[in-house]
Amino acid sequence: MTMDMAYYPGCSLHASSELYDIQCKMVFRNLGIELKEIEDWNCCGATAAAKTDDFLAIALPARNLGIADATGLSEIVIPCSSCYSRTLVSQKRLSCDPGLKDAINEELGHKVEGKIKVSNILEVLVPRATSGEIAGKAKKKLEGLKAACYYGCLLTRFPCDVDLTDDVENPQGMEIVCKALGAETVDWSYKTDCCGASGSVNDAEQSQLLMSRIFKDAVARGANCFISTCPLCQFNLDAYQDEVGRKYGIEQRLPVYFITELIGLSMGFDPIQMQVDRHLTDAMPLLKELKLI
Amino acid sequence: MSAKTLHYEARRAKSLVGEIMERSGQNLLACYQCRRCAAGCPVGEETGVTPDRLIRMILMGDREEALSNLLVWQCVACYTCGTRCPNNIQTARITETLKQMSKEAHLEPLLPRIADFHSSFMKATEHKGRFNEIEGMRIYETKTTIKELKTGNFGAIIEEMKNQAKLGMKMRKKKRMHFKVDKVKNVAEVKALFRKAKQGKGV
Repeated sequence: MTMDMAYYPGCSLHASSELYDIQCKMVFRNLGIELKEIEDWNCCGATAAAKTDDFLAIALPARNLGIADATGLSEIVIPCSSCYSRTLVSQKRLSCDPGLKDAINEELGHKVEGKIKVSNILEVLVPRATSGEIAGKAKKKLEGLKAACYYGCLLTRFPCDVDLTDDVENPQGMEIVCKALGAETVDWSYKTDCCGASGSVNDAEQSQLLMSRIFKDAVARGANCFISTCPLCQFNLDAYQDEVGRKYGIEQRLPVYFITELIGLSMGFDPIQMQVDRHLTDAMPLLKELKLI
Repeated sequence: MSAKTLHYEARRAKSLVGEIMERSGQNLLACYQCRRCAAGCPVGEETGVTPDRLIRMILMGDREEALSNLLVWQCVACYTCGTRCPNNIQTARITETLKQMSKEAHLEPLLPRIADFHSSFMKATEHKGRFNEIEGMRIYETKTTIKELKTGNFGAIIEEMKNQAKLGMKMRKKKRMHFKVDKVKNVAEVKALFRKAKQGKGV
Protein backbone atom coordinates (compact mmCIF):
# COMPACT_ATOMS: atom_id res chain seq x y z
CA MET A 1 0.00 0.00 0.00
CA THR A 2 1.35 3.41 -0.93
CA MET A 3 0.61 6.62 0.91
CA ASP A 4 1.27 10.20 -0.14
CA MET A 5 3.20 12.51 2.14
CA ALA A 6 3.86 16.21 1.58
CA TYR A 7 7.56 16.99 1.22
CA TYR A 8 9.61 20.15 1.70
CA PRO A 9 13.16 19.65 0.42
CA GLY A 10 14.45 23.17 1.16
CA CYS A 11 17.17 25.02 -0.75
CA SER A 12 20.07 22.81 0.27
CA LEU A 13 18.48 19.62 -1.11
CA HIS A 14 18.05 21.42 -4.43
CA ALA A 15 21.72 22.43 -4.48
CA SER A 16 24.84 21.11 -2.74
CA SER A 17 22.95 18.29 -1.00
CA GLU A 18 20.93 17.16 -4.00
CA LEU A 19 22.08 13.61 -3.26
CA TYR A 20 20.03 13.64 -0.05
CA ASP A 21 16.90 14.61 -2.04
CA ILE A 22 17.46 11.69 -4.42
CA GLN A 23 18.06 9.25 -1.55
CA CYS A 24 15.00 10.40 0.42
CA LYS A 25 12.75 9.75 -2.57
CA MET A 26 14.28 6.31 -3.26
CA VAL A 27 14.12 5.10 0.33
CA PHE A 28 10.66 6.48 1.08
CA ARG A 29 9.21 4.98 -2.10
CA ASN A 30 10.51 1.57 -1.07
CA LEU A 31 8.80 2.07 2.29
CA GLY A 32 5.52 2.75 0.49
CA ILE A 33 5.64 6.54 0.88
CA GLU A 34 5.36 8.76 -2.19
CA LEU A 35 6.91 12.14 -1.42
CA LYS A 36 4.86 14.97 -2.91
CA GLU A 37 7.09 18.04 -3.13
CA ILE A 38 4.89 21.03 -2.29
CA GLU A 39 4.35 23.51 -5.16
CA ASP A 40 6.42 26.65 -5.49
CA TRP A 41 7.87 26.57 -1.97
CA ASN A 42 10.25 29.29 -0.76
CA CYS A 43 13.32 29.40 1.49
CA CYS A 44 12.45 29.02 5.19
CA GLY A 45 14.84 31.85 6.12
CA ALA A 46 17.05 29.41 8.05
CA THR A 47 18.99 30.99 10.92
CA ALA A 48 19.60 34.18 8.94
CA ALA A 49 15.97 35.33 9.19
CA ALA A 50 15.86 34.87 12.97
CA LYS A 51 19.05 36.87 13.28
CA THR A 52 17.85 39.75 11.13
CA ASP A 53 14.06 40.00 11.25
CA ASP A 54 11.55 38.42 13.64
CA PHE A 55 8.63 38.86 11.24
CA LEU A 56 10.30 37.13 8.29
CA ALA A 57 11.51 34.30 10.53
CA ILE A 58 7.83 33.39 11.04
CA ALA A 59 6.38 34.62 7.72
CA LEU A 60 8.71 32.80 5.30
CA PRO A 61 7.95 29.30 6.63
CA ALA A 62 4.30 30.35 6.99
CA ARG A 63 3.95 30.70 3.21
CA ASN A 64 5.11 27.09 2.85
CA LEU A 65 2.74 25.97 5.59
CA GLY A 66 -0.15 27.56 3.70
CA ILE A 67 0.82 25.69 0.53
CA ALA A 68 1.21 22.47 2.51
CA ASP A 69 -2.19 22.89 4.20
CA ALA A 70 -3.78 23.36 0.76
CA THR A 71 -2.55 19.93 -0.39
CA GLY A 72 -5.05 18.33 1.97
CA LEU A 73 -2.35 15.86 3.05
CA SER A 74 -2.06 15.16 6.76
CA GLU A 75 1.72 15.21 7.18
CA ILE A 76 4.73 17.04 5.75
CA VAL A 77 8.24 15.66 6.14
CA ILE A 78 11.17 18.07 6.22
CA PRO A 79 14.58 16.33 6.16
CA CYS A 80 16.75 19.43 6.80
CA SER A 81 16.96 20.17 10.53
CA SER A 82 17.05 23.92 10.02
CA CYS A 83 14.04 23.98 7.68
CA TYR A 84 12.21 21.60 10.01
CA SER A 85 12.92 23.72 13.08
CA ARG A 86 11.94 27.02 11.44
CA THR A 87 8.73 25.57 10.01
CA LEU A 88 7.66 23.92 13.26
CA VAL A 89 8.42 27.08 15.24
CA SER A 90 6.42 29.18 12.76
CA GLN A 91 3.42 26.86 13.01
CA LYS A 92 3.59 26.88 16.81
CA ARG A 93 3.95 30.68 17.01
CA LEU A 94 1.01 31.26 14.64
CA SER A 95 -1.19 28.89 16.64
CA CYS A 96 -0.85 31.17 19.66
CA ASP A 97 -0.75 34.54 17.86
CA PRO A 98 -3.90 34.99 15.73
CA GLY A 99 -3.06 38.64 15.04
CA LEU A 100 0.26 37.74 13.46
CA LYS A 101 -1.38 34.88 11.57
CA ASP A 102 -3.95 37.27 10.08
CA ALA A 103 -1.25 39.78 9.16
CA ILE A 104 0.70 37.10 7.28
CA ASN A 105 -2.36 35.49 5.71
CA GLU A 106 -3.29 38.88 4.18
CA GLU A 107 -0.35 38.43 1.83
CA LEU A 108 -0.81 34.75 1.02
CA GLY A 109 -2.73 32.99 -1.75
CA HIS A 110 -2.81 29.82 0.31
CA LYS A 111 -3.69 30.80 3.86
CA VAL A 112 -2.06 29.09 6.83
CA GLU A 113 -4.56 26.94 8.64
CA GLY A 114 -2.05 25.18 10.85
CA LYS A 115 -3.52 21.74 10.42
CA ILE A 116 -0.71 19.78 8.71
CA LYS A 117 1.59 17.75 10.94
CA VAL A 118 5.20 18.88 10.57
CA SER A 119 7.62 15.94 10.88
CA ASN A 120 11.36 15.56 10.75
CA ILE A 121 12.79 12.57 8.92
CA LEU A 122 13.29 10.51 12.08
CA GLU A 123 9.66 10.93 13.10
CA VAL A 124 8.79 9.11 9.88
CA LEU A 125 11.57 6.53 9.97
CA VAL A 126 11.69 5.51 13.64
CA PRO A 127 8.14 4.06 13.85
CA ARG A 128 8.94 2.09 10.68
CA ALA A 129 12.10 0.77 12.32
CA THR A 130 10.36 -0.28 15.54
CA SER A 131 7.53 -1.91 13.58
CA GLY A 132 10.03 -4.11 11.76
CA GLU A 133 9.20 -2.57 8.37
CA ILE A 134 12.73 -1.28 7.69
CA ALA A 135 14.33 -4.59 8.72
CA GLY A 136 11.74 -6.35 6.54
CA LYS A 137 12.93 -4.43 3.46
CA ALA A 138 16.60 -5.15 4.18
CA LYS A 139 18.54 -7.28 1.74
CA LYS A 140 21.72 -7.15 3.84
CA LYS A 141 22.89 -6.33 7.33
CA LEU A 142 25.30 -3.40 7.64
CA GLU A 143 27.80 -5.33 9.74
CA GLY A 144 31.04 -3.61 10.67
CA LEU A 145 29.71 -0.06 10.71
CA LYS A 146 30.28 1.68 14.03
CA ALA A 147 28.34 4.86 13.71
CA ALA A 148 28.53 8.05 15.73
CA CYS A 149 24.95 9.30 15.29
CA TYR A 150 25.18 13.08 15.04
CA TYR A 151 21.98 15.06 15.72
CA GLY A 152 23.37 18.58 15.99
CA CYS A 153 21.26 21.38 17.44
CA LEU A 154 18.04 21.96 15.60
CA LEU A 155 16.58 18.48 15.56
CA THR A 156 16.15 18.36 19.32
CA ARG A 157 16.36 21.91 20.71
CA PHE A 158 13.95 24.73 19.91
CA PRO A 159 13.63 28.41 20.78
CA CYS A 160 10.14 27.75 22.16
CA ASP A 161 8.22 24.84 23.67
CA VAL A 162 7.24 22.23 21.09
CA ASP A 163 6.18 18.61 21.45
CA LEU A 164 9.20 16.35 21.12
CA THR A 165 9.35 12.70 20.17
CA ASP A 166 12.93 12.08 21.28
CA ASP A 167 15.11 12.78 24.29
CA VAL A 168 16.62 16.27 24.30
CA GLU A 169 20.04 15.45 25.76
CA ASN A 170 20.46 11.89 24.52
CA PRO A 171 18.25 11.30 21.48
CA GLN A 172 17.98 7.72 20.23
CA GLY A 173 16.11 7.90 16.89
CA MET A 174 19.11 7.26 14.67
CA GLU A 175 20.37 4.50 16.97
CA ILE A 176 17.00 2.74 16.65
CA VAL A 177 17.19 2.92 12.86
CA CYS A 178 20.82 1.68 12.89
CA LYS A 179 19.83 -1.29 15.02
CA ALA A 180 17.19 -2.23 12.46
CA LEU A 181 19.90 -2.12 9.77
CA GLY A 182 22.31 -4.29 11.74
CA ALA A 183 24.81 -1.45 12.19
CA GLU A 184 26.52 -0.78 15.51
CA THR A 185 26.43 2.64 17.16
CA VAL A 186 28.77 4.17 19.73
CA ASP A 187 27.84 6.03 22.89
CA TRP A 188 29.45 9.43 22.74
CA SER A 189 29.23 12.89 24.25
CA TYR A 190 28.98 15.24 21.28
CA LYS A 191 25.91 13.93 19.46
CA THR A 192 23.90 17.11 20.08
CA ASP A 193 26.77 19.61 20.05
CA CYS A 194 26.94 22.37 17.46
CA CYS A 195 29.11 22.05 14.32
CA GLY A 196 29.25 25.84 13.96
CA ALA A 197 26.59 25.99 11.24
CA SER A 198 27.20 28.94 8.89
CA GLY A 199 30.20 29.88 11.02
CA SER A 200 32.20 27.65 8.69
CA VAL A 201 31.78 30.46 6.14
CA ASN A 202 31.84 33.59 8.28
CA ASP A 203 33.63 32.59 11.51
CA ALA A 204 35.91 29.71 10.47
CA GLU A 205 38.13 29.73 13.53
CA GLN A 206 35.26 29.12 15.91
CA SER A 207 33.36 26.60 13.83
CA GLN A 208 36.54 24.59 13.29
CA LEU A 209 37.10 24.46 17.04
CA LEU A 210 33.55 23.18 17.54
CA MET A 211 33.98 20.58 14.80
CA SER A 212 37.33 19.43 16.23
CA ARG A 213 35.61 18.47 19.49
CA ILE A 214 33.06 16.42 17.56
CA PHE A 215 35.72 14.64 15.48
CA LYS A 216 37.95 13.95 18.49
CA ASP A 217 35.22 12.38 20.58
CA ALA A 218 33.86 10.22 17.74
CA VAL A 219 37.36 8.88 17.05
CA ALA A 220 38.07 8.31 20.76
CA ARG A 221 34.86 6.25 21.05
CA GLY A 222 35.93 3.99 18.22
CA ALA A 223 33.42 5.14 15.60
CA ASN A 224 34.28 4.48 11.96
CA CYS A 225 31.65 6.80 10.49
CA PHE A 226 29.16 9.56 11.29
CA ILE A 227 25.47 9.49 10.48
CA SER A 228 23.52 12.68 9.98
CA THR A 229 20.00 13.65 8.96
CA CYS A 230 20.79 17.33 8.34
CA PRO A 231 22.31 18.55 5.05
CA LEU A 232 23.96 21.50 6.77
CA CYS A 233 25.61 19.45 9.53
CA GLN A 234 26.54 16.81 6.95
CA PHE A 235 28.15 19.40 4.72
CA ASN A 236 30.20 20.92 7.54
CA LEU A 237 31.54 17.60 8.85
CA ASP A 238 32.09 16.37 5.28
CA ALA A 239 33.70 19.45 3.72
CA TYR A 240 35.92 20.68 6.55
CA GLN A 241 37.00 17.41 8.19
CA ASP A 242 40.36 17.25 6.47
CA GLU A 243 41.26 20.85 7.24
CA VAL A 244 40.13 20.58 10.86
CA GLY A 245 41.87 17.22 11.25
CA ARG A 246 45.19 18.67 10.08
CA LYS A 247 44.84 21.75 12.25
CA TYR A 248 43.94 19.82 15.41
CA GLY A 249 46.14 16.74 14.91
CA ILE A 250 43.37 14.24 14.25
CA GLU A 251 44.60 11.50 11.91
CA GLN A 252 41.44 9.54 11.20
CA ARG A 253 38.90 10.66 8.59
CA LEU A 254 35.37 9.34 9.04
CA PRO A 255 32.82 9.31 6.22
CA VAL A 256 29.64 11.25 7.06
CA TYR A 257 26.66 9.27 5.80
CA PHE A 258 23.13 10.50 5.44
CA ILE A 259 20.79 8.12 7.22
CA THR A 260 19.10 7.49 3.86
CA GLU A 261 22.36 6.15 2.40
CA LEU A 262 22.57 3.44 5.01
CA ILE A 263 18.91 2.47 4.74
CA GLY A 264 19.25 2.47 0.94
CA LEU A 265 22.35 0.26 1.10
CA SER A 266 20.55 -2.24 3.30
CA MET A 267 17.68 -2.22 0.80
CA GLY A 268 20.18 -3.19 -1.87
CA PHE A 269 20.23 0.11 -3.80
CA ASP A 270 23.24 0.88 -5.94
CA PRO A 271 25.56 3.33 -4.10
CA ILE A 272 26.34 5.19 -7.33
CA GLN A 273 22.67 5.61 -8.08
CA MET A 274 22.32 7.03 -4.55
CA GLN A 275 25.38 9.23 -5.29
CA VAL A 276 27.38 8.09 -2.28
CA ASP A 277 30.43 8.96 -4.39
CA ARG A 278 29.68 12.67 -4.08
CA HIS A 279 30.93 13.03 -0.50
CA LEU A 280 33.80 15.43 0.14
CA THR A 281 35.32 13.06 2.71
CA ASP A 282 35.41 9.84 0.73
CA ALA A 283 32.49 7.62 1.72
CA MET A 284 33.05 4.66 -0.60
CA PRO A 285 36.29 3.04 0.75
CA LEU A 286 34.81 2.07 4.13
CA LEU A 287 31.85 0.39 2.45
CA LYS A 288 34.23 -1.55 0.20
CA GLU A 289 36.49 -2.47 3.10
CA LEU A 290 33.51 -3.84 5.05
CA LYS A 291 32.31 -5.63 1.89
CA LEU A 292 28.98 -3.80 2.03
CA ILE A 293 29.22 -2.93 -1.66
CA MET B 1 35.57 42.22 28.83
CA SER B 2 34.04 39.98 31.46
CA ALA B 3 36.07 41.70 34.16
CA LYS B 4 34.59 45.12 33.46
CA THR B 5 32.68 46.69 36.35
CA LEU B 6 29.03 47.25 35.58
CA HIS B 7 27.27 50.34 36.92
CA TYR B 8 23.59 50.22 37.71
CA GLU B 9 21.26 53.03 36.90
CA ALA B 10 17.60 52.26 37.50
CA ARG B 11 15.93 54.24 34.73
CA ARG B 12 18.42 53.20 32.08
CA ALA B 13 18.15 49.55 33.15
CA LYS B 14 14.36 49.56 33.15
CA SER B 15 14.06 50.77 29.59
CA LEU B 16 16.72 48.39 28.24
CA VAL B 17 15.34 45.34 30.07
CA GLY B 18 11.80 46.19 29.01
CA GLU B 19 12.72 46.56 25.36
CA ILE B 20 14.67 43.31 25.18
CA MET B 21 12.07 41.33 27.12
CA GLU B 22 9.31 42.58 24.86
CA ARG B 23 11.15 41.85 21.61
CA SER B 24 12.75 38.53 22.52
CA GLY B 25 9.79 37.21 24.48
CA GLN B 26 12.16 36.10 27.25
CA ASN B 27 11.65 36.81 30.94
CA LEU B 28 15.10 38.06 31.90
CA LEU B 29 13.97 38.90 35.42
CA ALA B 30 13.64 35.19 36.16
CA CYS B 31 17.41 34.66 35.87
CA TYR B 32 18.88 33.79 39.28
CA GLN B 33 22.41 33.30 37.96
CA CYS B 34 22.64 29.54 38.48
CA ARG B 35 24.92 29.38 35.42
CA ARG B 36 23.67 26.10 34.01
CA CYS B 37 23.65 27.99 30.71
CA ALA B 38 27.31 28.89 31.13
CA ALA B 39 28.26 25.25 31.68
CA GLY B 40 26.67 24.21 28.39
CA CYS B 41 27.56 27.16 26.18
CA PRO B 42 29.88 25.92 23.41
CA VAL B 43 31.29 29.40 22.73
CA GLY B 44 31.32 30.91 26.23
CA GLU B 45 34.96 30.12 26.88
CA GLU B 46 36.21 31.75 23.68
CA THR B 47 33.92 34.77 23.75
CA GLY B 48 34.53 35.41 27.44
CA VAL B 49 30.82 36.13 27.84
CA THR B 50 28.39 33.40 28.88
CA PRO B 51 24.58 33.76 28.69
CA ASP B 52 24.31 34.58 32.41
CA ARG B 53 26.84 37.42 32.00
CA LEU B 54 24.92 38.80 29.03
CA ILE B 55 21.67 38.77 31.00
CA ARG B 56 23.43 40.52 33.89
CA MET B 57 24.73 43.26 31.57
CA ILE B 58 21.19 43.87 30.36
CA LEU B 59 19.71 43.86 33.87
CA MET B 60 22.33 46.43 34.91
CA GLY B 61 21.30 48.59 31.98
CA ASP B 62 24.63 48.55 30.16
CA ARG B 63 23.28 49.07 26.63
CA GLU B 64 26.64 49.67 25.01
CA GLU B 65 28.21 46.51 26.37
CA ALA B 66 25.07 44.44 25.77
CA LEU B 67 24.91 45.39 22.10
CA SER B 68 28.57 45.00 21.45
CA ASN B 69 30.16 41.89 22.93
CA LEU B 70 31.44 38.76 21.26
CA LEU B 71 28.60 36.51 22.46
CA VAL B 72 26.01 38.58 20.58
CA TRP B 73 27.84 37.86 17.34
CA GLN B 74 29.37 34.45 17.98
CA CYS B 75 26.33 32.82 19.58
CA VAL B 76 25.63 29.85 17.28
CA ALA B 77 21.95 29.69 18.31
CA CYS B 78 22.34 26.05 19.35
CA TYR B 79 19.65 26.60 22.03
CA THR B 80 21.57 24.57 24.63
CA CYS B 81 21.43 27.31 27.27
CA GLY B 82 17.68 27.81 26.91
CA THR B 83 16.95 24.09 26.90
CA ARG B 84 18.79 23.68 30.21
CA CYS B 85 17.62 26.90 31.88
CA PRO B 86 15.44 26.09 34.90
CA ASN B 87 13.51 29.29 34.19
CA ASN B 88 13.08 28.70 30.48
CA ILE B 89 15.07 31.74 29.33
CA GLN B 90 16.23 31.21 25.76
CA THR B 91 19.33 33.41 25.51
CA ALA B 92 19.74 32.66 21.79
CA ARG B 93 16.52 34.65 21.29
CA ILE B 94 18.17 37.48 23.21
CA THR B 95 21.32 37.45 21.06
CA GLU B 96 19.09 37.45 17.96
CA THR B 97 17.25 40.49 19.33
CA LEU B 98 20.50 42.27 20.21
CA LYS B 99 21.83 41.76 16.67
CA GLN B 100 18.69 43.38 15.30
CA MET B 101 18.93 46.26 17.79
CA SER B 102 22.57 46.79 16.92
CA LYS B 103 21.67 47.07 13.25
CA GLU B 104 18.81 49.48 13.95
CA ALA B 105 21.19 51.63 15.99
CA HIS B 106 23.60 51.63 12.99
CA LEU B 107 26.41 50.22 15.10
CA GLU B 108 29.31 48.57 13.30
CA PRO B 109 29.07 44.85 14.19
CA LEU B 110 31.95 43.56 16.27
CA LEU B 111 32.39 40.78 13.71
CA PRO B 112 31.16 42.28 10.41
CA ARG B 113 31.53 39.06 8.41
CA ILE B 114 28.87 37.34 10.49
CA ALA B 115 26.38 40.18 10.04
CA ASP B 116 27.22 40.40 6.33
CA PHE B 117 26.63 36.69 5.83
CA HIS B 118 23.13 36.81 7.29
CA SER B 119 22.14 39.96 5.40
CA SER B 120 23.51 38.45 2.16
CA PHE B 121 21.53 35.28 2.79
CA MET B 122 18.34 37.33 3.20
CA LYS B 123 19.08 39.42 0.13
CA ALA B 124 19.48 36.30 -2.02
CA THR B 125 16.28 34.87 -0.56
CA GLU B 126 14.36 38.08 -1.24
CA HIS B 127 15.64 38.14 -4.81
CA LYS B 128 14.61 34.65 -5.96
CA GLY B 129 12.45 33.40 -3.10
CA ARG B 130 14.94 30.59 -2.64
CA PHE B 131 18.52 30.69 -1.44
CA ASN B 132 20.90 29.91 -4.28
CA GLU B 133 24.29 29.10 -2.79
CA ILE B 134 26.34 30.71 -5.58
CA GLU B 135 24.28 33.91 -5.59
CA GLY B 136 24.35 34.16 -1.77
CA MET B 137 28.10 33.65 -1.67
CA ARG B 138 28.64 36.20 -4.44
CA ILE B 139 26.71 38.87 -2.50
CA TYR B 140 28.55 37.98 0.70
CA GLU B 141 32.04 37.94 -0.83
CA THR B 142 31.44 41.24 -2.64
CA LYS B 143 30.26 42.87 0.56
CA THR B 144 33.17 41.66 2.66
CA THR B 145 35.78 42.34 -0.03
CA ILE B 146 34.65 45.97 -0.40
CA LYS B 147 34.96 46.40 3.38
CA GLU B 148 38.42 44.84 3.50
CA LEU B 149 39.52 47.01 0.55
CA LYS B 150 38.40 50.14 2.38
CA THR B 151 40.49 49.20 5.41
CA GLY B 152 43.39 48.05 3.23
CA ASN B 153 43.24 44.54 4.68
CA PHE B 154 44.53 42.78 1.56
CA GLY B 155 45.80 39.78 3.50
CA ALA B 156 42.25 38.89 4.56
CA ILE B 157 41.02 39.16 0.96
CA ILE B 158 43.71 36.80 -0.33
CA GLU B 159 43.13 34.36 2.54
CA GLU B 160 39.37 34.31 1.84
CA MET B 161 39.90 33.84 -1.89
CA LYS B 162 42.29 30.96 -1.26
CA ASN B 163 39.87 29.23 1.11
CA GLN B 164 36.86 29.65 -1.14
CA ALA B 165 38.78 28.49 -4.23
CA LYS B 166 39.93 25.39 -2.37
CA LEU B 167 36.40 24.54 -1.24
CA GLY B 168 34.97 25.37 -4.66
CA MET B 169 37.40 23.04 -6.40
CA LYS B 170 36.63 20.24 -3.97
CA MET B 171 32.89 20.75 -4.50
CA ARG B 172 33.19 20.83 -8.29
CA LYS B 173 35.17 17.63 -8.32
CA LYS B 174 32.38 15.86 -6.43
CA LYS B 175 29.63 17.63 -8.34
CA ARG B 176 28.36 19.35 -5.19
CA MET B 177 28.43 22.79 -6.86
CA HIS B 178 25.03 23.66 -8.24
CA PHE B 179 24.81 26.06 -11.16
CA LYS B 180 21.12 25.88 -11.97
CA VAL B 181 19.17 28.80 -10.53
CA ASP B 182 16.18 27.92 -8.37
CA LYS B 183 13.38 30.47 -8.30
CA VAL B 184 9.92 30.76 -6.78
CA LYS B 185 7.36 31.36 -9.55
CA ASN B 186 5.20 33.56 -7.38
CA VAL B 187 8.17 35.50 -6.07
CA ALA B 188 5.93 38.58 -5.76
CA GLU B 189 4.29 36.92 -2.78
CA VAL B 190 7.64 36.41 -1.07
CA LYS B 191 8.63 40.00 -1.84
CA ALA B 192 5.35 41.18 -0.28
CA LEU B 193 6.38 39.51 2.99
CA PHE B 194 9.74 41.28 2.83
CA ARG B 195 7.94 44.58 2.22
CA LYS B 196 5.71 44.00 5.19
CA ALA B 197 8.75 43.27 7.33
CA LYS B 198 10.35 46.55 6.27
CA GLN B 199 7.18 48.48 7.13
CA GLY B 200 7.42 46.91 10.57
CA LYS B 201 3.78 45.86 10.44
CA GLY B 202 4.31 42.27 11.40
CA VAL B 203 5.77 41.94 14.85
